[in-house]
Amino acid sequence: MSFTNLSLDPDDLPALEHAPLTPVSRRLAPCQALQRAGRWVFLVMLTGLFPVQHEELAQWQSWAAAGVAGLGVVAIALGWVEARRRAYGLREHDVLYRRGWLVQRTQVLPLARLQHVETLSNPVERAFGLVRLACFTAGGRGADLMLEGLSAARAEAVKQHLLARLEGTTRQPESLTP
Amino acid sequence: MSRQHDRSVPEALSLQGWQRLSPWAIGLLLVTTSVSLVRQHMPLLAGAGAGLAMIERVGLRETALGGLTLLLVAALASLLYYRRFRFRLDGDVLIIQKGLFEHREFKVAARHVQHIAVHQPAYMRPFGVVQWEVETLAGESSSISLPGIHRELAEALGQGLKGRQEAPPDAESSDESVDAANVRAPVIRFAITPGALILHGLTSRSIYVIAAMLSPLARPLERWVHDHLPHLDLRGWLPPSPALAIGAGVLALVILLALLAVLAAWWRFHGYVLREGDGRQVQASGLFTRQEQALTLSRLQVVEWVQTGLGRLLGRGYLICHQFGAMGGGGAAESRRFLVPGLAANQGKELTATLWPGCRMEAPLARVSRLYWRVVFLRLGVGLTAALLLLVGLLGPAGLSPMLWGGMVASLPLVAAGVAQLRWMATGWAREGAYLRIRQGLWGQRTSIFPLTHLIAISVQWSWLQRRRGVVTLHLALANGGLTLPYLEEREALLLANQLLASVEAAQAA
Repeated sequence: MSFTNLSLDPDDLPALEHAPLTPVSRRLAPCQALQRAGRWVFLVMLTGLFPVQHEELAQWQSWAAAGVAGLGVVAIALGWVEARRRAYGLREHDVLYRRGWLVQRTQVLPLARLQHVETLSNPVERAFGLVRLACFTAGGRGADLMLEGLSAARAEAVKQHLLARLEGTTRQPESLTP
Repeated sequence: MSRQHDRSVPEALSLQGWQRLSPWAIGLLLVTTSVSLVRQHMPLLAGAGAGLAMIERVGLRETALGGLTLLLVAALASLLYYRRFRFRLDGDVLIIQKGLFEHREFKVAARHVQHIAVHQPAYMRPFGVVQWEVETLAGESSSISLPGIHRELAEALGQGLKGRQEAPPDAESSDESVDAANVRAPVIRFAITPGALILHGLTSRSIYVIAAMLSPLARPLERWVHDHLPHLDLRGWLPPSPALAIGAGVLALVILLALLAVLAAWWRFHGYVLREGDGRQVQASGLFTRQEQALTLSRLQVVEWVQTGLGRLLGRGYLICHQFGAMGGGGAAESRRFLVPGLAANQGKELTATLWPGCRMEAPLARVSRLYWRVVFLRLGVGLTAALLLLVGLLGPAGLSPMLWGGMVASLPLVAAGVAQLRWMATGWAREGAYLRIRQGLWGQRTSIFPLTHLIAISVQWSWLQRRRGVVTLHLALANGGLTLPYLEEREALLLANQLLASVEAAQAA
């Protein structure tokens, strides 16, 4: 098999840590908070209304529900802060997505690996005008990169850019900066 | 291989017309489906005596009648399936039409084929029929099989797809040059010896797989012995000391599992031969079910050198050649992949150098930050303490003797430190030319070797602690799944990430 051994100068490499990132839509935070609140309300109701047979335990049931509610409030607040810090970036040869607050994670997907892209949105996201963009690579069982918190117009523009790259045509990424 | 059913070898050109499965496929489909159903539902039927209870409730005659009816229906379904199933090669595309109630057509382009496998269970051998399977770049989930065609047809189909796969799109007419390349004699790269096969059985992970498979049968077996062999005074056989009895029991179980693991290795890898030719590695093995797998080197993504704990002691391991897909699945799924068993460490190195030209596996592995040791130690310490507190809650402080509680508390940090040390020592990486080598594990170790250009995606992770200490964790997505390099110095991690991305993108641009 033929295989090239490319020489790369470490100082000249494009540095992912210096890649300019664009914050996602500010509507992502309330959208995610609303979705999380729905799940936590269900958990609180389950904890508070679950038929407990043991009398001593039943006395603590409302406190347990309050504890779950408190945890929910903390989780939603942390999620809000985290959503406000998310950002994405498009470079000539890859897509970047940064997420996380206490644990930050920057994911990079080279466009050479992209197989297809998909846009998704649930009713809550649609109410906030948000769309998720899923990027798939070969052999994967799910989306390898999920860009959350893009406005519908921005998601469509990014999708068109990625599709154009998939088809081998070139388009200037600068035109996609908000 | 059985050659008693010598048909005229079909030429690749004749594959352009519609082909059918072998008529024997009707019966074989029935047998294959039955074997598969029995294998899948064995634990359900045998487990806890559910099957026997059901037969007792329904009645033996009624169960037999029901089984016969099901068999007739299955035979009719197999006949219909056979009639609907047809396939042909249209240029570089394999077209398959099938479906019992829903007619489906599959098209597989030769350029998307990454793996071709031929299986021949013992009951297919007298008829010269094989199961032929093709897997595309989408991975295992995309595999399509022809469940019963003559061996010669399978070989012609493989050659037909391969010839077109390698031929440039604008050189379809130059079949002669392709044929000339195809006639090069394959070189035997590795042939397993009986000793190596036994060692592979002992040192592979199949011992755990067998233990997991047999665990549902333990209770019914115990009940059966209790009901049918009451005269056997098993207690009388045991040594008087409880510790000695437990030790003897564990030893007997380990010996039984080891024996079964060796038998499984003989079943799967008997007569294993790996041949190389025409840019492909072809392996053939199997005691009763002969299997042939062809791996196109241009489709190879990651080579993994695996050594279990016992394998490291005995200096044995095995290589797994990964392509796209086939993520996860554990030990049982691992045995279905392109695996080279029973290798000594130097054989593993040599074979890796054959698969990845220029990769000698000689560069020493760099360790990750010592902070990783502390993190693993703390996580384990917290987990073990929580488990101990749970045990105290369940049993009460008087549940065990103070000496035992004390011993458990004292051993807790020792266990956590030992595991953390093993984990830290096993984790390492090295860049060797255009290849990256990453080792992970605990007592057993797995070393993934792949060209930098085969990266799919990369993630850089900083926790608040890592940000303070200037270290990061790299998550590498590869064709066969993910690899993690934890707690690397930030500067070298980012440099590695940038080099990986630059390699992928430069290779694509080239």
